[in-house]
Amino acid sequence: MFKKELLEEMLGVAMSTGGDFAEVFGEHTRSNLIMFVDGKIDRINDSVLSGVGVRVFLGQRTVYASTSDISREGLLRCARSAADALAEGNAPISICLNRKNITDIHPVKINPVTANIGNKTDILKSACFAAKEHSELISQVQGNLSCVEHEILVANSEGLLVGDSHTRTRIAVSAVASDNGENQSGSASPGRGMGLEMFDFISPVEVGKSAAKTALVNLRAGYCEAGQMTVAIENGFGGVIFHEACGHSLEATSVGIGMSEMCGKLGQKVANEKVTAIDDGTIPGAWGSVNIDDEGNPTQRNVLIENGILKGYMVDRLGSRRLGMAMTGNSRRQSYSYEPTSRMTNTFIANGPDKNEDIIASIEYGLYAKQMGGGSVNPLTGAFNFSVNEGYMIRNGKICEPVRGASLIGTGSKIIQDIDMVGQNLDTAQGMCGSSSGSVPTDVGQPLIRVKKITVGGR
Amino acid sequence: MNFEAVENSLVAEAKNAGLEEYEVYFMESSGTSAETLKGEISSFSSEVSGGISFRCIVGGKMGSASTELLTDEEMKALVARAIENAKNIESDDKAVIFAGSEKYAELTLPEFPAKDTAELKKLALDLHNKITAESEYIIDGTSATVIQNSTRIVLINSHGLELSTDVGVVGMAAEAVVSKDGENQAAFALESGFGEELVGNLAKKATADALAKIGAGEIESGKYDVIFCGKQMKDILSAFSSVFSGRSANLGLSLLKGKEGEKIAADCVTLIDDPQKKGSATQTAFDGEGVATYTKNVIENGVLNTLLYDIASADKVGKESTGNGQRGSYASPVSVAPYHFYLAGGSLSDDELLASMGDGIYITELKGLHAGANSVTGDFSIESAGFRVRDGKKCEAIKSFTVAGNFFELIKSIEALAADVKFGFAGGFTVFGAPDTLIRQMSVAGK
Repeated sequence: MFKKELLEEMLGVAMSTGGDFAEVFGEHTRSNLIMFVDGKIDRINDSVLSGVGVRVFLGQRTVYASTSDISREGLLRCARSAADALAEGNAPISICLNRKNITDIHPVKINPVTANIGNKTDILKSACFAAKEHSELISQVQGNLSCVEHEILVANSEGLLVGDSHTRTRIAVSAVASDNGENQSGSASPGRGMGLEMFDFISPVEVGKSAAKTALVNLRAGYCEAGQMTVAIENGFGGVIFHEACGHSLEATSVGIGMSEMCGKLGQKVANEKVTAIDDGTIPGAWGSVNIDDEGNPTQRNVLIENGILKGYMVDRLGSRRLGMAMTGNSRRQSYSYEPTSRMTNTFIANGPDKNEDIIASIEYGLYAKQMGGGSVNPLTGAFNFSVNEGYMIRNGKICEPVRGASLIGTGSKIIQDIDMVGQNLDTAQGMCGSSSGSVPTDVGQPLIRVKKITVGGR
Repeated sequence: MNFEAVENSLVAEAKNAGLEEYEVYFMESSGTSAETLKGEISSFSSEVSGGISFRCIVGGKMGSASTELLTDEEMKALVARAIENAKNIESDDKAVIFAGSEKYAELTLPEFPAKDTAELKKLALDLHNKITAESEYIIDGTSATVIQNSTRIVLINSHGLELSTDVGVVGMAAEAVVSKDGENQAAFALESGFGEELVGNLAKKATADALAKIGAGEIESGKYDVIFCGKQMKDILSAFSSVFSGRSANLGLSLLKGKEGEKIAADCVTLIDDPQKKGSATQTAFDGEGVATYTKNVIENGVLNTLLYDIASADKVGKESTGNGQRGSYASPVSVAPYHFYLAGGSLSDDELLASMGDGIYITELKGLHAGANSVTGDFSIESAGFRVRDGKKCEAIKSFTVAGNFFELIKSIEALAADVKFGFAGGFTVFGAPDTLIRQMSVAGK
């Protein structure tokens, strides 16, 4: 992407006002988004993102400058403005970079960005038409196919020079079912850290049908009753509960400044002993996987909670300085415009000891949350909320009528104590997680779990 | 970064490719921000970014592509990609490169002279120190943020239309973290603008809000009269703003389809879209397609006057664009979006509105609106926090309850609005606003 000598010069300038560490992050991203609506390919959004971010540290302080001007002058100006933001002075130092080669554990077979547009529109249309044709009540289908090739480069004042390419592909279908002047919706949106070979084992037709089925279920659902009850949360996107309620509280971003309810609890029992939770950025081809993080460190498998005991946090360079802990390969950012911070990769609750059928059978009266929606959390207090996209009442150990409009609210530290049954069908689902360093792809996951008591918002 | 340096080669490439109708949209932003932690500047960032979007009509279809790489070579690739994309479009939307409106509004933008690094840092530290001085319960984690941003937009097209505008946004945010009676709480206050008075107000507000949350209790499930404070009501409006999009309606994704001219809200509800709101830094005279913008009452005394349209969605229903074809960034496609979009204030003060409610809940916080609100159905179920109100007075803090309802029913059941409209922070040219709003008998799920 850039000449080694130029990067060395930039780092030297960045360090010239007394910084103790400097880093250059370069990015060239090509993305292609094909959108479908109303039976037709509607729009194609095709973009190139190109730029550089320079970060300088002095102890636990950082300054960050970024630019899309990648001319020599533009790059040096960017390094200069970072240095000037830190302090006054001008004593450039000499940096010698050594290129480090990495092993690509996520090789791409069919580059999705440069692939023939016609092939891509065919894939998208087969998914969307499958949703439309699923029922006469499906009144509208929107879909998109998103393909991204994200090339990055990291160079730092410790001499590291490393580059990588992250490719990802995702198809999303959203179906609307209408009857008697009422609309209900359903969606499905699988993605992988792969090229178009993702569709060798994910059927676009099934993605479309799945979205349509959820919309139809919701169309005949009544509103969920409100109150506290036992809830069984299904695998896949059900893992958003751990992501939101606990994962964010384990990021050094919040732990490092004392803004997390998980501060100072390493080695302590924080969850039910059936809960083991892992963040693993190394799973081949997974949505949240990358070879190296955005500070150039290899990703790794981090056990966060083991049999209920808190084992570790997700730590980036700044977090490492704040906490005095080793970095864990979790530093991520949406693009060069963002200063990176500790983020999740593929985060999930591992399989547990309980049989799935026993979990449902154990609930006399409660909610079965088959498909979760998004949510948010306050890391300081652990207060969270999630919406339930597809839910059913459970009566006498049996899954009964569908209900809509439900949400789950509670606090992270309490719910992970209250997960009292953990099933055995671990699966993951894809999301885009938003935080201070922008929106990054993350996998959430879990097997079917039971939460013994949680507030269900309904009406 | 130099748009002028590549502008000519881009236009030459377009002509070379035999294109008759094309448009170039350039956006360039620069911004700086300073953030504090533990009484020091913990982070400072500056950003320069920008790029070009190119749109062209090929065979009656609109193609587009965008890039941040401003080189002559890239301009060639940009034109080729836009043409290739146009060939794969199937939409029967009318593809229009706009020739220009007769008249564009004059703007009255406020002036905020750019601050240098030292001034920004000082302002952030002043705010931080003000927050710390507010209360003995303030703890680490408390932070102040100051940002300034300026954006230049240029739109030129094959009809000879040339438009440009400059937008500057400055703002400050205070996050107060407090620890009292063994409980930690945080609150956030954010306003656009700079100034000493604002520093004091933000510090006071964030600290008071954080302290007020300490010791919050829970509430029994049931039906309650509710006042959404203005900041929260504008967030609800934001979550459901796409229902006012003519494009969404055309696609059957808004239940307001076919409702223009009908009564859809209570008599007291007037919803205004104002692209040139006086005093605001984010005014614009033209939209992302070059159409002149203007102020309109989207809902007037409960009646839906008009939805919002861009050129293509208006054409579908035989109307004219309302000047609402916006671009979130240079790389975003044109989409329908409002400007200063706000519920007009009523006649009561905030306290008079509380008094008129008598008993109920005053909601000061809604969380996860992006997940808990469905604009296609209008349903929402949102985690909330606020205060119990008895005899028209704010009493104890309450938390961890959800308020559920349906947006289309909610706007019908608004009983009264306070006079003072609170505006949020701009996202592009879009700013939402609302006053404190009283709604009777909403579903609340608590303990």
